[in-house]
Amino acid sequence: MSLLLQGLALGVLTGGLYALLASGLSLYFGVMRVVMVAHPAFLFLAAYLAYTMHTAFAADPFLTLPVTVPVFFALGVAVQRLLLARLAPDNLAMMSVLLTFGIALTIEGLLGTVYTGSYKSISMDYATRSLTVGGVHLPYDKIIAFLVAAITLAALFAVLIRSRFGQALRATIQHREAARLVGIHTERVAGYGFGVGLATAAVGGTVLALITPFLPASHWAWIGKLMAIIVVGGLGSVAGAALAAVVLGVVEGLVLVTIDATWATMMFYVFLFLTLLVRPQGFFGGRLAHRF
Amino acid sequence: MSEAVLSLEDVEAGYGRAAPVLRGLSVTVGAGQVVCLVGPNGAGKSTALKVASGLLAPRSGRVVLAGRDVAGLSPQRLLGLGLAHVPQGHSVFREMTVAENVRLGGYTVRDPARLAERVEAVKELFPVVAERWGSMAGLLSGGQQKQVEFARALMLEPKVVLLDEPSMGLDPRATRVVFDQIDLMRRTGVAVLLVEQNARRALETADVGCVLDLGRVHISGPARDLAADPRLGRLYLGGAAT
Repeated sequence: MSLLLQGLALGVLTGGLYALLASGLSLYFGVMRVVMVAHPAFLFLAAYLAYTMHTAFAADPFLTLPVTVPVFFALGVAVQRLLLARLAPDNLAMMSVLLTFGIALTIEGLLGTVYTGSYKSISMDYATRSLTVGGVHLPYDKIIAFLVAAITLAALFAVLIRSRFGQALRATIQHREAARLVGIHTERVAGYGFGVGLATAAVGGTVLALITPFLPASHWAWIGKLMAIIVVGGLGSVAGAALAAVVLGVVEGLVLVTIDATWATMMFYVFLFLTLLVRPQGFFGGRLAHRF
Repeated sequence: MSEAVLSLEDVEAGYGRAAPVLRGLSVTVGAGQVVCLVGPNGAGKSTALKVASGLLAPRSGRVVLAGRDVAGLSPQRLLGLGLAHVPQGHSVFREMTVAENVRLGGYTVRDPARLAERVEAVKELFPVVAERWGSMAGLLSGGQQKQVEFARALMLEPKVVLLDEPSMGLDPRATRVVFDQIDLMRRTGVAVLLVEQNARRALETADVGCVLDLGRVHISGPARDLAADPRLGRLYLGGAAT
């Protein structure tokens, strides 16, 4: 029983982090119907930047965020305006896969050149301890990851729901032509939406650097998982992806403690295939699919 | 005829590098006038509205709004000059409330007092919108969604409203409400350029009818005369006119 509780607790914490990591992918698809294969590569670019700050200045990785978040936002706007917006709309999804695949390879190559192909990691004293509640051990690094993800997602949702930009972004996602006709500069908004998506990668990558060792090719292990989350959640729905992330995180945690790590990872793809078979619009899609 | 608010003059337009859809289209709408474009599928009716609202730049010709050539200006600019466009099908922001939808009609208004004033004005014009104010727009019936779209379009008190098949998919009762609202727009001095598949019903409401074929006006005249024109019945209305 305690093993199950342990798996459940770890699953919730990890699922929260997955929600943050997948939120950017949902935004990209929502605003532009773009499949952004390079998102995990940007996550690890942020991880390496945090690593550099940590090794060069002994800085806490989170102290890099005031720099990396705006830089990644600007990068996102640039990628959307200079590259993705130029793709032909007829086969945007397929061309975006090819283009962002190329971006991912480029980032991986640059990281390999600068940092070599060996594993790097950041070890902070506070992240190596754990909290024990009712026999369940909760590692501080996972708690921190969960809290950072929760705060970031809360900020993201507040922006989407409360701000003028958020309303314009949601309108653009839900009906681009009608959005243009009420005076929204949809191209500009899509660029900023992309920027916000990549800004979440800056935060997510910094958290990843704290909880897992990484190398330039680490992003390949994440793209499948994150894609599975946004398909199960309902493509284009940030809220749906967040719910699916927590559910899949819990399932992964429970399978990890009861069966093994291989099956735990496999569960993402089991859910992906089941979703495509039973409810292709995603389990939290339909009504929620275009909410954000 | 009343003073021209919107004119398309000898407009040629199309999509990408394909052959033009509009081939020298000319049509004029005056203040407080409803002009209806009817015609077979592919005649260029919706394309004409897209050119007028800036969604599609014309290849040649003029689009004159209140005396100014606005061809090629963006929808954002044209909105500011008094042109609103309700596109084909349901165009509410489905996962936003009715309130959010209507307020987005005033997206370009920076003055909160002015925005609040306009919100109250359209709520008075559209009682259904006021009743369903907090509801998610996607959950409304088709007719109610169309009312929300009309309310959103009227937020900036436009001089001219473009309506693309507003009765599409609506039941007879909702259709009647839609045409009553079009009549109300006319009575308040708004110029309406209407595209409709329901040609008989549209010609009953409109002042002027234009039959489009192959991207230009084929027949035009007073709407009631046009509805009784046997050529129209044979060509486009599926049988002899009554």
